[in-house]
Amino acid sequence: MINLAVSSQKGGVGKTTVSINLAHAFARAGVRTLLVDTDPQGSVGLSLTRQSRLLSGFYDFLQDPGIPLDRLIVPTRMETLALVASGQASDYEAGGGMGAHLARVRAFLRGAAARGFDICIIDTAAGLFGATGDVIASSDAIMIPQQAEPLGIRSVPKLLEGLNRLRIMNPRLTVLGVCLTMVQHELAESAQAAAALRQLLPAEMLFQTQVPRDPLFVRASARGLPVGALEGGAGVQAVFDSLRAEIEVKLQPGASSRANAG
Amino acid sequence: MDPLRSWLDAGEVQRLAARLIESVSDPAAPATMGEAGFDEGFVGFTGEGSAPAAPGPAASPLERHEPGHPVSAPPSASGPFLEKIRCFRDWMGREFAAAGVFILDREGAVIFHDGLDERFHVLARSLALASRRPGASTGNVHLKIGARIILEVIPVETACGCLVLGAVVPASLPPESVRTVREALAASASPASR
Repeated sequence: MINLAVSSQKGGVGKTTVSINLAHAFARAGVRTLLVDTDPQGSVGLSLTRQSRLLSGFYDFLQDPGIPLDRLIVPTRMETLALVASGQASDYEAGGGMGAHLARVRAFLRGAAARGFDICIIDTAAGLFGATGDVIASSDAIMIPQQAEPLGIRSVPKLLEGLNRLRIMNPRLTVLGVCLTMVQHELAESAQAAAALRQLLPAEMLFQTQVPRDPLFVRASARGLPVGALEGGAGVQAVFDSLRAEIEVKLQPGASSRANAG
Repeated sequence: MDPLRSWLDAGEVQRLAARLIESVSDPAAPATMGEAGFDEGFVGFTGEGSAPAAPGPAASPLERHEPGHPVSAPPSASGPFLEKIRCFRDWMGREFAAAGVFILDREGAVIFHDGLDERFHVLARSLALASRRPGASTGNVHLKIGARIILEVIPVETACGCLVLGAVVPASLPPESVRTVREALAASASPASR
């Protein structure tokens, strides 16, 4: 199983939107996908299930690893997609520094792998510390959604510094790159910020696919669905199908070396 | 006005990004991986200011360790199991100025300890797990927990299964010392010599 963390230094950049719709794209492609909400705000659960405030989840497992994982995994209407909510142990967000829960995070992921999932997509809280740091230190790969606006992109150096620190803890972490989100081509500042970031970062550190700002995301969230499940959502779904394809290529062995050689 | 360039150090961003692209197995990557899971830049999760005080003997024995200082013969591999482990503990104190030693089994249960804070056991177990990599033997890791106080965690394959040795030492152990410690613990835990 591949563990893919969706993380960013900054909040409000679209991590949950990317996680939900990417998980849906993988599941649609027949990949057995587990979407895990490790953001104590519980945004994935709030987006997709009406019972999220009642569900036990990731943080409950960290508090008590004796909880059977099957009790936490919530099936969906798609046979290939299941999710784990962030859970009820909300006090947890205040406790524990980085590294404090590494063993339990890894136990959780081993349990998920043992249940036959092919990919585990992990929506994290903003920042690269605490439980999020432990998740990243336990993951195979990370992708970083980044809002295409000047303020967000100015946080990129801090993000890169944080990732370099985490890579010391987890040298096998593959950094898939930054995915520009909320791109508004009609807004000069957004387009300029996106273009500037493309000039600044090496090509292999940026996804070609960009996620546009689209009212469909709000509509999908209101109905508790991935955008691809909405009527008229096929266009935006294609964006996430493209993102999925890029990730699959980047995860192939030697992809980074090939990119460097090229 | 350029929304980015005037706010960012482009050279710094590119340098940081380039480091992230380096694959672990990339021959072009710097060879800093002395220990599984952590490299030379890793000095621990906690700062010195908040580090717990290491229990055990006074600080003076911690001054004794000198890299390259010749190591005496490992402990004798005869006698009851716990007796041999105590000999091993004493040898660790003599040779590496270990102020405390504990040993966990593969499930994380404590099979020997000499009074170190239990938080170290949890920490050692987490570090040992964190250092595991598929298809590779598990390496040692160390964690700086205070000024000249290092928790050295060394997983050791023994006849009793994988044991996790935790030792509080004044400086991280060089690879040759780690090898010596591994061999000594494996011999001490060998049922053939009980």
